[in-house]
Amino acid sequence: MARSPQLLFASVERRTELRHDLALRSAEEVAEELGYMKGVLMKLGQMASYVDEDMPATFRAAMGRLQHNAPPMSPELASSVIAAELGGAPERVFAKWDAWPFAAASIGQVHRAITKDGKAVAVKVQYPGIARSITSDLRNVGLLRRVVSAAFPGMDTQSFIEELGERLREEVDYVLEADNQELFAQYYEGHPVIHVPHVVRDLSTARVLTTELVSGERFEKVLEWDQHERNMAAETINRFVSRSLYRLHAFNGDPHPGNYLFHGHGRVSFLDFGLTKHFNDQDLVPLVEALRCLVIEKDGDCFRSALERAGFLKPGAPVPTETVVDRFGLFYSTVLQDAPMTITPAFASAIVRRFFDAKGPLAPYSDVPRTYVILQRINLGLYAVLGSLNATANWRRIGQELWPFVLGPASTPIGEAEARWELERAGRNLAPVG
Amino acid sequence: MRPEPEVDRQPASSLDILEPLARALTRSVAERPADDGLFGARSVVWRVHRDRSFALAGIRSLMVQALHPLAMAGVAQHSNWEQDPIGRLAATSGYILTVTYGDTAAAQQAGARVRAIHRHVNGTDNVTGLEYHAADPALLLWIHAAMVDSIVHIVQRYGRTLDAADADRYVAQMVGFAELVGVPADQVPASVAALQQYIESVEPLRATPAAIHAISVVLDPPGLGEDMRELWHDIGQVAIGTLPGWVRAMYGFGPPDPELMEREQVRQLIGALDLGFESLPGVVEARERIELRMRR
Repeated sequence: MARSPQLLFASVERRTELRHDLALRSAEEVAEELGYMKGVLMKLGQMASYVDEDMPATFRAAMGRLQHNAPPMSPELASSVIAAELGGAPERVFAKWDAWPFAAASIGQVHRAITKDGKAVAVKVQYPGIARSITSDLRNVGLLRRVVSAAFPGMDTQSFIEELGERLREEVDYVLEADNQELFAQYYEGHPVIHVPHVVRDLSTARVLTTELVSGERFEKVLEWDQHERNMAAETINRFVSRSLYRLHAFNGDPHPGNYLFHGHGRVSFLDFGLTKHFNDQDLVPLVEALRCLVIEKDGDCFRSALERAGFLKPGAPVPTETVVDRFGLFYSTVLQDAPMTITPAFASAIVRRFFDAKGPLAPYSDVPRTYVILQRINLGLYAVLGSLNATANWRRIGQELWPFVLGPASTPIGEAEARWELERAGRNLAPVG
Repeated sequence: MRPEPEVDRQPASSLDILEPLARALTRSVAERPADDGLFGARSVVWRVHRDRSFALAGIRSLMVQALHPLAMAGVAQHSNWEQDPIGRLAATSGYILTVTYGDTAAAQQAGARVRAIHRHVNGTDNVTGLEYHAADPALLLWIHAAMVDSIVHIVQRYGRTLDAADADRYVAQMVGFAELVGVPADQVPASVAALQQYIESVEPLRATPAAIHAISVVLDPPGLGEDMRELWHDIGQVAIGTLPGWVRAMYGFGPPDPELMEREQVRQLIGALDLGFESLPGVVEARERIELRMRR
């Protein structure tokens, strides 16, 4: 039976209720909860939550339960991390400090605070010792391979573990996350609907990340909004993903809705850049080619050869090109027609199922090259989000605005506002300094 | 008798096989116990028995316990363990957890039930030709000592901190465990040193064919999926590596690979297995109940 992507999300939702009564009081307790493979495997489950179609039921349940059960640090333990990282107790470093966290992060937790110059900030504090323990766990490739192949049969274990390892090693280094977040925050500065909070550099280290505090509605709340509002929110999320990809050559690889805050009229704040993937031109070229061949040229052979160059399909696979177009074409079906289309939960599920179809005619010849593992995740996550919102738009027109081989005109009010922003932005960047 | 594990239903979800152990835990840790039981929430027993390395200690215990021909004969001739080895493990584990975390009434009741079963377990061992009675305090003491020694050894080596003083305190508190099944307290070793001395003094120990067979089932229980089997196999190898040299020699096991025994890696292995266990219904909640009572 098909599972709705909404349900997939349920398993990775940020927990709303933090178990303060079970707070971790020492580095030893942290290690007990999150060390010794636990943190790594939980992250793996989170990363693979869209890969879920093949995941054995118990593992899926496991991941869901464990997401809900990592307790927060006690105020004393969190305070000791701040003291070690920022050189003083939080009450001295900040003008105001909320001793209990208001949100959990995968390897830490987030506190509210007010800086000495009066800024409201969110302070992400990493569990002590977790960086060391994750590094050690990732070295145990033999064990990881066993667990991954048990939990996700049919998946390319090797590339998944490599990708997981690389992402996790990045994720434990908050300096890297700060750089990534600032890249996005600066690029989207002044954007009419997309907002990325800035980093407060002098209150951030490898284990502490301080950013502007954002308040807004959670995704679950947005599901109750009227369809027009939901469409606008969906459009913004869609624009954020493609603009980041085409213009920044980077994207946030953690597309779960807990990382969005909504402000109405299509305005969305994007949080958490711990899983950021950067692309170069070479990575992007075959993807753009495949899109152009299929959607604009409607040329099956051209489409097929682009997929082969990207490594998605083995060259010379004994499969007719019509099959290739039919099977892979589904992933492009939101942009094939120049017309409004509703992305329903059922459609999103169909995409996920097709993607992980181990029995289809192309299965023996297709693969996800490591460069694109995270991109696929984003795409599937994006479909799941848009499906949950039941969002309608002319996705083709919106997409075309950014496709390098079209660069179409603004197609919606948000698109028009975005075009004005882009002009201003260019003007600002061209203006002589001083 | 239990039905065969439904291998077809979820070929890859080999965690199902651990479900009896999960149920043993959730049943043993009551939601509203009348009191904190025989040992109390601040006892070393409570702390040690929730260690994640406990499964490893369990396997080591079985390997040592099985070396007593009379204890082994009692199990081999009177228990249906072979039809359902995991169920049997779960029953033992449920007993230990109930006596530890159950209220006084539950612990006493569990003890009485075990004493009642033991009264009917009598016979003759066909290897030594000796008669045995499961209620014999000497046999019960051996089972107790092998278990306590294994727990101390494993938790000190692969678990959370357990210093020498706390290890002695643990062994002393565990005297109550032996008493409950009918061993007079004055016969039970009450320190780590006394325990060692006792274990090395027991005769006649040997790996009978029944013991070798039992341990081979423990090391490779039926019904494990491919993937789980590999993890379980590794755990078994570590357990063998922790045995005293003379025990390994009796079974004919070679010396352990030092790399396999390295603390960090063993902890990772235990962690991965434990994560699977924690994913089963009720396990996290039961552990939380214990933790909250210990923090009160």
